[in-house]
Amino acid sequence: MLIDNTGISLALLICASNVNAALGAEENSVTLFSGDLFIAISTLLIFFVVVIVLGKFAWGPMLRGLQKRENFIRESLESAQRDREAAEARLAEYEKKLENAYDDASAIVDASRCEGDNVRRQIEADARDDARKMIERAKREITNARDEALGELYNRASHLVMEMAGSVLKRQLTPEDHEKLIRQALRELRKEPGSQN
Amino acid sequence: MIDEFLAAGFNPLTHVVDYVWYSAGDGRFTILSNHIIMMLLAAVLLIVFMPRLVRVPKEGDEIDQLTPRGSQNVIEIICQFLRDYVAKPNLGEYTDRFVPYIWSVFFFILTCNVLGLLPLEPITKPIFGHGIYGTATGNTWVTGTLAICTLLMIVVNGLRLNGFAYVKHFFMGPFPLNILIAFLEVVGLVAKTFALALRLFINMCTGHILLAILVSFVGMAAAVGAMVGILVSVPVILGSAAITLLELFVAFLQAFIFTFLSCVFIGQAVVIHHPHKHDDSRRVLREEGETKA
Repeated sequence: MLIDNTGISLALLICASNVNAALGAEENSVTLFSGDLFIAISTLLIFFVVVIVLGKFAWGPMLRGLQKRENFIRESLESAQRDREAAEARLAEYEKKLENAYDDASAIVDASRCEGDNVRRQIEADARDDARKMIERAKREITNARDEALGELYNRASHLVMEMAGSVLKRQLTPEDHEKLIRQALRELRKEPGSQN
Repeated sequence: MIDEFLAAGFNPLTHVVDYVWYSAGDGRFTILSNHIIMMLLAAVLLIVFMPRLVRVPKEGDEIDQLTPRGSQNVIEIICQFLRDYVAKPNLGEYTDRFVPYIWSVFFFILTCNVLGLLPLEPITKPIFGHGIYGTATGNTWVTGTLAICTLLMIVVNGLRLNGFAYVKHFFMGPFPLNILIAFLEVVGLVAKTFALALRLFINMCTGHILLAILVSFVGMAAAVGAMVGILVSVPVILGSAAITLLELFVAFLQAFIFTFLSCVFIGQAVVIHHPHKHDDSRRVLREEGETKA
């Protein structure tokens, strides 16, 4: 396309040059290739100044800015990449830890449940044992109390019997007699256990 | 049509060729001409405005300084495009060494091209007696000088960076064929420079000549009759507007082409391919392939 464009342009230039040649008059006699070496020197000087000045005051700072920005972006991307890799590694580590934590938690719960069952069983056993001991003690106390009451009853009964017998016989029993009678009565009572009730 | 031109005494080249203001040696040495003035104007505009347009803010933190603002975006996007997509593929590791020259060439040619599109003649003619206008890049001496600058960049940097290898790469093939190839390479180098200069010159001239011819139709039609002149002026104005827009596009395009080709030619000189290196790399790849197999 560029070649076509240049070719068409060249053809147009040739036509224009033909017109120029056809005019012939001195005042209109101009050529497209007019100029001399001094225009070339002027161009060289002007362009040289442009390259030097722009290179120092425009392109230099801009190129440094572009390079600085490129480095900044590259470093940021590399840093982001490193951070991402570290984050992924840490995530994997935490996922593993979390998985282990689930297992540990299950084990802890199982152990606690087991221990709780043991404690419950122990408490039940202790309570049962205490209850049994309390019942036995109560029974023992009841037996003692009954024996004591029976002893008291026998004493009172014998005392009354002696008083009644003394009054009947009009005779005052001595303590020795009294004791003798009691012993005799107890022996008889022991011989006849069914008579207690 | 040519007869009409001749009758009207109109020459479409008058608005394209350079006008000499001061000369020495009976007009043989130009001291000051329209094209030199337009180049000076372009240089002044670039030197005054470009550093301001790309100024990096001093205040703020590092991120503030790295963030482009306002007009800096416009210039930077052009410069970055030229650096990353035009210079870097051709110049490789030498990109940042040559990119200031590449940017200067592009913006200098672009400014000259665009200034040539401005209708300065009606403004300057009443003041100076003759209009100060014209496309400096429509002058063979100007484009030729710019092309020679690129040629110097090619040769000087080719020698500076590659030394004898640069000279050696002209002599490809067995003796005595390499002598002929070296001759052709040198001719090619000159032809490249010549094409670079001629392409820019032709493309910048033709649009202006075409516009001058189009506008001249109005004068010719008006000579026939007022009504005819009015009728002809409507398509001429529309056509001229369209061609001016095309010229604006061509101004950017030709600046880009000159820059792009300069990059390609400089790249060919400074980034020389070494056949033995390719052979080595091919051998290594082949050995790797065999090892894998």
